[in-house]
Amino acid sequence: MNLFRSEEHVRAWLGEREPGATIPVAKLSELAFAWWDTRVAPDWRPRTRDENQAILDRLGLTGPFWQLPG
Amino acid sequence: MEAGDLELRNLTYGLFVELGRAPAAAEVGARAGRAADEVTASWHRLHDAHALVLNPATAELRMANPFSAVLTAFRVRTRERWWYGNCAWDAFGILAALDEDGRIETSCADCGEPIAVEVADGKPDDESLLFHCLVPARTWWADIVFT
Repeated sequence: MNLFRSEEHVRAWLGEREPGATIPVAKLSELAFAWWDTRVAPDWRPRTRDENQAILDRLGLTGPFWQLPG
Repeated sequence: MEAGDLELRNLTYGLFVELGRAPAAAEVGARAGRAADEVTASWHRLHDAHALVLNPATAELRMANPFSAVLTAFRVRTRERWWYGNCAWDAFGILAALDEDGRIETSCADCGEPIAVEVADGKPDDESLLFHCLVPARTWWADIVFT
C-alpha cells in the first residue's frame, strides 16, 4: 500500500505483476479518515464486516477488488 | 470479542498514544491492575481477532493499526512527535485517529523520490499523487505485514 508520483511509476513498479487498485491520494485520505477516525477512542468497539464494507461502498470503492471476505 | 479483551485493547491503544510508542505488556498490566502474562494472553486473542498485530517471534506489539511499533518508510509528523504508519493508508489513518493535521513523509515506491504531503482538515496538499493497493480486500489479513 504505497504512494507513487504518477500512473507511469505505478506501472513501472508493478512490472509483470497483476495490478491491484489505484486511487488518487485525496480519495485515500478520505478512506483513511473514514476508516480510522475512532481507532483510539476509549470506547472503541470493532466494526462489523458490513460496516467496513459500507465505508468502502460509500466512497465508491466497489467491485470485486474492494469486497471484504464474508 | 470479550469485554475484558476489548478493555485491554482500548487501554493498549490509549497508552500507545500517551507514550508515543508501543507499550510493553507489563506497562499495560500495571495500568490495568493485571499481570503481564494476562495481558499477553489477551493480546494473542486480539491478534487472532485482527484487533492488533503481534510480532510472532516475541509476542510484543508489531502493529496497533494504523500505528506501527517499528520504524517504517511512512513517517507522520504531528504537533508533538513523529509516528510511523504500516503503509500509506495507515499514515493518513494516524492523522485521522489522532484528529490532527500533520505531514506525511515517504517516497515513491517506484523511483524512491521523496514524497512529503501536508494534510490539513483531512485534505492532502498535493493531489497529484497516487495510491496503489496491490492486495485485494478479501485477502488483506492473509499476510497483514505484506499487505
